[in-house]
Amino acid sequence: MLINSLSFLAFFAIVVVVYFAPALRSKPAWQNLWLLLVSYVFYGLADWRMVPLLLGATVVFYALGVGVKQMMNGERWKAASRLTTLAAALGVALLLVFKYLNFFGESFAALLQGVGLSCSWTTLHILVPVGVSFFTFKLISYVVEIHRERIEPTHDFVQFATYIAFFPTIMSGPIDRPGKFLPQLMRSHTFEEPLALDGCRQVLWGIFTKMCIADNLALLTSSAWVMPTDFPASRLLVAALLFPLQMYADFAGYSDMAIGVAKVLGFRVERNFNHPYLARNVAEYWRRWHMSLTSWITDYVFMPLNIAMRDRGRIGTIIAVMINLIVIGLWHGANWTYALFGLYHGLLFIPLVFSGSFGRNRKLKPAAHGLPKGSDFLKMLGTYCLVAIGLLIFQAPSLSHFWAYVRALFRPSLLSIPSLGLPWFTYVGLLLLIACEWLCRDREHPLQFVHGPAASSRVVRWGIYYILILCIFFFQGQSQQFIYFQF
Amino acid sequence: MNEEILNALTEIFRDIFDNEDLVATPELCADDVEEWDSLSHIQLVVAIEKYWHIKFTAREIMKWQNVGEMVQGIANKIE
Repeated sequence: MLINSLSFLAFFAIVVVVYFAPALRSKPAWQNLWLLLVSYVFYGLADWRMVPLLLGATVVFYALGVGVKQMMNGERWKAASRLTTLAAALGVALLLVFKYLNFFGESFAALLQGVGLSCSWTTLHILVPVGVSFFTFKLISYVVEIHRERIEPTHDFVQFATYIAFFPTIMSGPIDRPGKFLPQLMRSHTFEEPLALDGCRQVLWGIFTKMCIADNLALLTSSAWVMPTDFPASRLLVAALLFPLQMYADFAGYSDMAIGVAKVLGFRVERNFNHPYLARNVAEYWRRWHMSLTSWITDYVFMPLNIAMRDRGRIGTIIAVMINLIVIGLWHGANWTYALFGLYHGLLFIPLVFSGSFGRNRKLKPAAHGLPKGSDFLKMLGTYCLVAIGLLIFQAPSLSHFWAYVRALFRPSLLSIPSLGLPWFTYVGLLLLIACEWLCRDREHPLQFVHGPAASSRVVRWGIYYILILCIFFFQGQSQQFIYFQF
Repeated sequence: MNEEILNALTEIFRDIFDNEDLVATPELCADDVEEWDSLSHIQLVVAIEKYWHIKFTAREIMKWQNVGEMVQGIANKIE
């Protein structure tokens, strides 16, 4: 059931009506039980065969959390550390078995064959559980946070299971942290009109970017990969340069929908994007892109590594950054393209570490004319191009496809004027998206009106909503699955 | 003793974050200082360890939520 479908709308309407029904409203335990039930129904509709896995993993990690705390209470610190390590290893094993087993088996067999040894790997037919990369990270962080004494384990299993399976975010995130999310499950939720309305606006914006921008752009970018040499090189170049915007409209669109749906239920979940293409270098880009994943990996991979190598100075930082980004790349799936994607970004960090511009950047300030300063604009443009090259590696089905695409780019037809075949509205949508990125850079989403005519006039606000709804009806592209559903 | 540690930390913070107005208080945390990110945090730890000739474990460092907890961690080591 896609989050932008009519069936989801009907499902969600039932969820909301029951969730805020007077019988449940003042009882958080009942509200959580209802949320848990509908979350499992939602997950089961995606793939019912994986429900036992989700439930089993939830039970095991719940018990591990309680166990770690008991050992810490008994001052058995080493045993608590060992149990936390076991929890992390179990989480990684879950990912390895379901996402990477075939990849490592095939790669190992190819390696042995490469050195003349006879070896064959029978590809196992392993079903990849939907959302496994997302809920596994939640499971791991729960136990690690208990061990770091940042949270207390919950003794309410329903509460914990609801945190793991929360339906708006289980498929593609954002990856919520237990410290922020679990306390929200400890209190009852009444319908908060301002938050719910903000959530509805965010859902509307998410649907618009996904259906009117990302789905239309997919026509151009996906066709280019089938047989790159069938297209003029200039068209391939434009497709490569537009893919970052398609990916953003798709994934940030999904995140907006998930965050908006959670807001209607009274929950605040992690923000996932902070206008990534306003970044002035690659380090800033990673602080603005898929923030719930990058902050997770920073906390649990980069920081421990960097702490362990802190006496090695910049070299230690570079090694930690490299490992961090390769892990981010491989998190997306079992393919050498993802490893190369991570390595490529890691290499882009090296000059930043040496120049000292790796850390936080100064706040963006516009020039007198209201647009970005010239130097900032050039840095944004350069960062965008570097990201586009990275995403070319990322979206390639294999390394050989990537090289074929790159070779196809360098042909005389690079200088021709490409025919893109995109619906005219796609360009309007893109311009609107780019303008909103800059003008609404201090807001979570563009439909949070804080000043101007839309903030003061209900007519203007509703006019904007109706225009967006009409655009969704008349200018939506051919329905495409969310890019991040595959992860 | 905590006062002495805070005074020394103020000097270290000013040096690492290149901000002469910064004052280390027990409530101060990373969200309050624009330049305080994961990288500068490590630089801070290295500077603290050098200043007091102490060594923290990864778990101790990851546990700190604010300067107050950092001060307590230093005090425990130098006592």
